[in-house]
Amino acid sequence: MSASVVQIIRRSDEASVDAKLLGGIKPTDLLVVEGEWAPERSVVMQELLQQGVSRDKWPQSLHWDWRKKSPQLKLLESAGYGIVCDKRWQGVMLTKTASHFAMLDKDKGKPLVYVDYLEVAPWNWVIPEIGREGEFRGIGSLLFWRAVKQSQEEGFYGRVGLHALPQSEPFYEKGCGMTPVGRDASKQNLLYFELSRQQAERFLKEGD
Amino acid sequence: MATKRTMTLNLTDAEMNALEELSQKKDLSKTAVLRQALRLFQMVDSRIERGEKLYFEDEAKKEKAEVMVL
Repeated sequence: MSASVVQIIRRSDEASVDAKLLGGIKPTDLLVVEGEWAPERSVVMQELLQQGVSRDKWPQSLHWDWRKKSPQLKLLESAGYGIVCDKRWQGVMLTKTASHFAMLDKDKGKPLVYVDYLEVAPWNWVIPEIGREGEFRGIGSLLFWRAVKQSQEEGFYGRVGLHALPQSEPFYEKGCGMTPVGRDASKQNLLYFELSRQQAERFLKEGD
Repeated sequence: MATKRTMTLNLTDAEMNALEELSQKKDLSKTAVLRQALRLFQMVDSRIERGEKLYFEDEAKKEKAEVMVL
């Protein structure tokens, strides 16, 4: 497993806090992740039900279970990354490198890093309807940055693709500078986004 | 990145030509092409072992053919 120090922001006082960005995470790590996150997911769901929050405002990854995604990490094309701070997993991402190809015209058919799953810990979710402000921010951006770096390391020039949950569409389009390519009927009609090599260069430059 | 090991690969002219063509077309080093091929082969093999099938589909011609992987 590889580790590097990164900074995430504690929302309560906007302070930068050291965290570890881990690469090469293993299936057993995902069992630990879900062990930490599942109880918090349940609490969030109870609060949403108690407050009568309509379903369209529920976090769209509320039903995810990282234990079920763990076998994927046994394949060569899969890689897992995570951010740990305060001895807890603050965010996790799974990527694939062989089964998805660029769709944008200039690099159509060339390989890219596909972000299969990316989620931040439930205690970092911002849900105003139940007064949740989230403990840390900046985790999703750091994980996405890692996907772009992985793409460069693989020789894919920073190209990244993913299908976004509707609530995450603005993050990927405006926050990460990705291009919305189109809805994918084979993926629950989710919007497919892609980061071209030029957009990757811009994204990394802006992040410096 | 994980530790890497080196190996010598013996290819026929036709295989080397195909590797060079793919390398150019996909904008990848020859090593990266072979790495991608291995990842893809392992992924396909693992899904077929789980009982899944692999198909090629031509949407325009409305044709769908199963790929037999041994």
